[in-house]
Amino acid sequence: MTKSLLLLLLSACTLFVHAQDQTGGSLTIKGKIREKSSGQSIPGVQVTQKSNPKNVVVANASGEFTITVPGNAVLIVHALGYTDEEVAVAGRSSSLTIDLEQGGGGNLDEIIVVGAVVKRRDLTGSVATIDAKAISITPTTDINTAIQGKVAGAYVVNSAQPGSAATIKIRGNNSLSYGTSPIFVVDGVIVGDNLNSLNPDDIASMQVLKDASATALYGSRGANGVVIVSTKKGRRNAGEVHYNNWVSWSEFERKMKFMNAQQIHDLRADAFANQYIENNPTADRQAYLNRINSDTSNLVFAPYERDTYKSGKSYDWLGAVSQNGMAHNHTLDFSGGSDKGTYYLSLNYTDQKGLLKGSDYKRMGARLNIDQNVKSWLKVGTYTTFTHSITDIVDGSVFPTAVGANPLLPIDTAGLYTLKWADIFNQDQYNPLRSLYIQNNQYLNRLLTSNYINVTPIKDLNIRTSFSADIYNEQQYSYTPTTTGQDLRNSNHGNATHYKMETYNLQWDNSATYTKTFGEHRLNFLVATSLQQNTSNFDQITAYGFPNDDFSYMYLNGVMSRDKTVLGSDFVTTTLMSYLGRVEWGWQDKYFATATLRYDGSSKFGPSHRWGAFPSLAVAWDMSRENFMSKVNVISHWKWRVGYGVAGNQNIPNYATMSLYRPVYSSGSVYYNSDGRRGNPDLQWERQKQINVGADIGLLHDRLNLTADYFHIKNDNLLIDQTLALTSGFNNQVSNVGSMTNQGIEFTLDYAIIKQKDLAWNFRFMISRDRNRVTKLYGNTQAIYNKGGYTGVEIQRTGNYILGQPVNTIYSYKFSKIAQVGDTAKLSHINFGGRTVHPGDIVPVDKDGNNVINDDDRYVVGKLDPDFYGGFGTDLTYKGIGLTVFFNYSSGLKRISSLYEGGIQSDGMEAASVDMLKRWTPTNTNTNIPRAVYGIPRFGIGDVDLGVQDASFIRMSVLSLSYTLPKSIRKNVFDNARIYVTGSNLWLITRDKGYDPETGDGFPNTKSVTVGLNLSL
Amino acid sequence: MQIRNIIICASLTAALTQVSCKKFLDQQPKTALTQDQAFAKLDNIKPLISGLYTNWRNVRKDRGGFMFELGSDEAQQGAYQVMTDPDQAALDKYDGYMVPRNNALTGQWQNRWPIVVAAAQAVYALQNNKEDEATRTELLGEASFIRAGVNFELTQYWGKIPISDPARLDQLGTKRQPLDQVYAYIINDLETAVKYLPETQSDKSHVTKYAALALLGKVYMSAPDDAKVRNFQKAADTLNLIIQSGKYKLLTNYADLWDAAHPNSTESLYEYQFNNTYPDNNQTQWQMGSRALANLPSVGANCYFGGYDLMVPTMYCYSDKSASGLWEAGDLRKAQSVRYDFTYKGITPTLSTGFGGDELDPHVKKYEDPRTDGVMSFWYSGKNIFYIRYADVLLMYAECLNELGKTNDAVNLINSTVRARAFGGTIPAGLSWDPAMSQDAFRTNIMDERMRELCFEGWRRSDLIRTGNFVNLVKARNKWTRQSGTIQAFNQLYPIPLTETLQNPDIPASDQNPGY
Repeated sequence: MTKSLLLLLLSACTLFVHAQDQTGGSLTIKGKIREKSSGQSIPGVQVTQKSNPKNVVVANASGEFTITVPGNAVLIVHALGYTDEEVAVAGRSSSLTIDLEQGGGGNLDEIIVVGAVVKRRDLTGSVATIDAKAISITPTTDINTAIQGKVAGAYVVNSAQPGSAATIKIRGNNSLSYGTSPIFVVDGVIVGDNLNSLNPDDIASMQVLKDASATALYGSRGANGVVIVSTKKGRRNAGEVHYNNWVSWSEFERKMKFMNAQQIHDLRADAFANQYIENNPTADRQAYLNRINSDTSNLVFAPYERDTYKSGKSYDWLGAVSQNGMAHNHTLDFSGGSDKGTYYLSLNYTDQKGLLKGSDYKRMGARLNIDQNVKSWLKVGTYTTFTHSITDIVDGSVFPTAVGANPLLPIDTAGLYTLKWADIFNQDQYNPLRSLYIQNNQYLNRLLTSNYINVTPIKDLNIRTSFSADIYNEQQYSYTPTTTGQDLRNSNHGNATHYKMETYNLQWDNSATYTKTFGEHRLNFLVATSLQQNTSNFDQITAYGFPNDDFSYMYLNGVMSRDKTVLGSDFVTTTLMSYLGRVEWGWQDKYFATATLRYDGSSKFGPSHRWGAFPSLAVAWDMSRENFMSKVNVISHWKWRVGYGVAGNQNIPNYATMSLYRPVYSSGSVYYNSDGRRGNPDLQWERQKQINVGADIGLLHDRLNLTADYFHIKNDNLLIDQTLALTSGFNNQVSNVGSMTNQGIEFTLDYAIIKQKDLAWNFRFMISRDRNRVTKLYGNTQAIYNKGGYTGVEIQRTGNYILGQPVNTIYSYKFSKIAQVGDTAKLSHINFGGRTVHPGDIVPVDKDGNNVINDDDRYVVGKLDPDFYGGFGTDLTYKGIGLTVFFNYSSGLKRISSLYEGGIQSDGMEAASVDMLKRWTPTNTNTNIPRAVYGIPRFGIGDVDLGVQDASFIRMSVLSLSYTLPKSIRKNVFDNARIYVTGSNLWLITRDKGYDPETGDGFPNTKSVTVGLNLSL
Repeated sequence: MQIRNIIICASLTAALTQVSCKKFLDQQPKTALTQDQAFAKLDNIKPLISGLYTNWRNVRKDRGGFMFELGSDEAQQGAYQVMTDPDQAALDKYDGYMVPRNNALTGQWQNRWPIVVAAAQAVYALQNNKEDEATRTELLGEASFIRAGVNFELTQYWGKIPISDPARLDQLGTKRQPLDQVYAYIINDLETAVKYLPETQSDKSHVTKYAALALLGKVYMSAPDDAKVRNFQKAADTLNLIIQSGKYKLLTNYADLWDAAHPNSTESLYEYQFNNTYPDNNQTQWQMGSRALANLPSVGANCYFGGYDLMVPTMYCYSDKSASGLWEAGDLRKAQSVRYDFTYKGITPTLSTGFGGDELDPHVKKYEDPRTDGVMSFWYSGKNIFYIRYADVLLMYAECLNELGKTNDAVNLINSTVRARAFGGTIPAGLSWDPAMSQDAFRTNIMDERMRELCFEGWRRSDLIRTGNFVNLVKARNKWTRQSGTIQAFNQLYPIPLTETLQNPDIPASDQNPGY
């Protein structure tokens, strides 16, 4: 294989050396090139005849050039650091002045793909671009968050935890269980999905490759989409300094409403009285209530609870563990260059204090990007960034425990290790104030570097080799002191964990590109090879029995409980090898075609299924360049695109082709044990076939731009972790078992409603829709269930794959009604499996009508993915004043909020939602909230679809006001000075009853106000 | 120009061909053995068999270790557990939740099959191994024993089961085999074990020839009619080999059996080895103890008889004979088997609001581990758990003698051994069994005697089914079974889990046990 592709590469080298060139023309143009805002001339600019790229001149030191071209020619004006400009010479004077606009730093038009530099416009297929300006409107340190709602087809779900990145899916779900994240390619380096070590201020542009004709470039890894990230470069003949700073203050975006102490007291009295009557149907309810409410009774309320109740107080445990968040971020960058090359150096520092006490994220980073011409035919460069971050993680129990605490219980750390309700200590509710003592610090160091050598042996032939590395070093240290409930319960006497992981992802890419023009035909060839080796190793120690808490996790030497010590380590290597060829053809800038073939080999598969071929074809037609369109003035451009391609997915666990046995330590000896997984030597790639039809339309002199795409994806050989019949002796194996389809549409509208010198008003709208469906599982299987729960074998509500249904469904009983007094006789015939269903209780639908409620009565009651989602926003600028507002939305998705469900199932012995005030009582029967009763097993709202939340939302993610200082104030000190105030997440509409429809209930989401400053020298 | 091109292209070629695709892409695990490697040599099979012992032991850990003791006439779930987990409650109630999808049962099917299959792979590999004969055969004996032991459990609980034999995989598949085949297979394995296992083992986690004989005796006694191998003569002969060997004797003091200071005593044919360090603790007390103690704020999990009431004695099992219960006056076993007093360091716990109400009723005492008291959570309880002890061998042997018409000998054996010890060496007047009792009376008496001697040790269900007492005694003595009133004869076997019938084409839903 290697040889044949090398022959191809060699022939590419030699063939085109002999190619002829053609010129022709009749008009001589003299021009001058200026920087648009300052009017200063730009030297060294390259001016090319578009239909004949061989005809190229370079402007002199004063920005002047002369070129001879045909009368109908179009010139491409290209300067590093500026946006390319196309100028038609027809009908214009032979003396031209061309203004170039700064391109936000670096050359936005060139990006690195599969190890080769390609023009952005040469990426055919469905590709969305987002530039630095769009990224910068959201003050965040996470780039996924920055692009939320701004790219059609990219579904971003935020995370509320400081230092953790938002998740992103391109075109929905295309795999059942092995990864839905796209791959990220940062300056040519393929990195995992942990991208929060990148500083958004360093990013020049991002391209999201969505359809298979584009993602086929990444073959076996492209099925979930590809995000290409290009960082900033310096500009020639300019020296610039930028300082960007923001400070933000945050608080809870919203809080779930729980009952206060007095309400909880009354709820509990009701719940116990109901239990009493349940057990003693003829007894006097009021007499019982009087008894339990008396001062001397300890039946239901503990003395401390009666004291709180009488005092009218209510204890806010969440308030006791939370704080106002504050964050600040600084980026200082220096850039510039000469004819020989450019540089960009940036330094970044960020510090975010989260809403829970002790939650903190700090990041320090530096980036150096250099491009240098060593010889006329030799260019070298590096794109390198180093990041160091420290995350102080608050113990995961703090927030849920504080939210679920007893408001009747005085806030106390003295003797209280676990929280209590009445006098029952809840073993699972560790006192959150004590849990704050748990230290958990994560340190990350990451070096991301891409280094290239580019040789131009003949004109238009570029041979490039690049060596890249993503070196990732993680250390995590935690210490649970003796003063916590966790420690007391487990009799640990202090325990510490050290975890150290190193990952080395090395990548070597070689590519050759050649561009050739034959008359009106333009051809572009690319051949490339890539080798990737990913190695990672970790070691972990957990030690128990500390003489004191004074040294935290730092000194393990003195631990006492040596027999409890847990040791762990592992070393893993995976490799991937690829060959790629691509031919692009263009005719008259009207018709375009691109054919790609990638051939990948992966160590994750067995020898007989190791290699896979991933072809793609894309064609495009620029209809607006046809003669019949020349009279349609309203249309400035209209391009049709059709693409088809095959991409793959190989995100399976390592060594899944083999059954593995590992040594285990037990009672002073060692034994070998299987990990329960049966090796499957027949594993293959998941294969994705995708067709995409789209159009890019520019109207009203490109003031109104529309992009629309339709896609249909068929995913076969889907990999899942299949549970096996238990008699096989193994629990599971990874198998290629199923198929699914996924189709959708995406639409983007960009409208410059007003475009005047001092006043500009833009509107942007994006909508995406995708629907997937499982079309085949193995054999005749109708469903693959996700088992879990207390016993490990109960069908879970999520994670099931059901034929004919979307991938991410909620599978539960359906709510029929709240049982009423008149239903008793009818309900007595139904076997509810030991659960009581009396008036006020939930009745599920008996789907099969057999009078037994069991797993056969489950329905698909919703899906976790939206019907459609996107964003819209507008910005208005008047002179130096700018106003931006941006909304994200998501519709048709459901969510499970265990927190809310628990709050509705409350019997006064756990936190209760205020919705329980509307619960069923003999006098309030017209309600869907079940009665309160203690200690009687019933259906909870989480057992039926009543508890499923409608997680649709519209969120105002950004509201920003900025002011750019006019030149008169900046004088000669600053090239640019801008201040802004941004409100994030200020406004949310949703029916979801939990904390947040998007970030869930696990960690509080924030709303914040940010004040920022951008200065340029 | 051209020369430079050629140099560049050539060097690129040279660089690329340095890398061989095949080698580059061949990444073997660095921290695990593949299946072929694991079973290839005795040095690897030996620790694999140690792993089987550990996995077999782990079946008896924690909650799962007691699932088949629930729903008997000696033990039932605590009330709070019944209120909160309908699937598990079905093990006592034998109600509409005792169905193929019952999760508590699925878990027990699930943790046993990997042991059977791995043992079968080991047996197969050992049969074909050409290394040191002495080591090979000893390992073969051990693997055969484990396969037989776990298969015996599976067939007692679920009836017809697949036979896992790699040598006959094509022929047998994974379908359920007739009981005579299953039992022939178990007996064959045990005969292999008896033939090759040593008489003693220095590593107490490994089984001996006598453990294999005891199990073989049990199999001969307990096999259902369909297995066509029940034979009290063979059982008696097999058990007598143990008695005649003189290697085992009852401990003088019954209390010493439950003292962690006397592990692997002369009464123990085999016991599961545990200690107080995770993962070798067994969490048993967590399941057996009283919630009332666990909830004491000053005490918490550090009281050695606290816990969470998974399994408590039935009223019959904790009551005196005078109260229509089990215990005779002066029987020293009562105070060692059941805890009646919950006073701890001067604190008398009370029932808290929200409990099931039986938290201060008598609890199982045999698994209390005072080593944890005051220093660590009862979750770390880790006394060894008996598999088969000599008292059981004597009781089984006596039962065989009675069935063979030698009631007189059977009574004398019990009087002189198990009952004598129970009363401190001398049986009080009137409590000695009458050698003239009828065969039927002996059958009734031995059932009670087995409960007094062996309660909560895991054999009760088998005893009830073997003697045909399952439905009547459980219904009479188990609170939840009685309350539910739904138990039927078919409940002697549990339903084959739904996960199996769904995923194993050889066991369709139509091949379910009768009644489900």
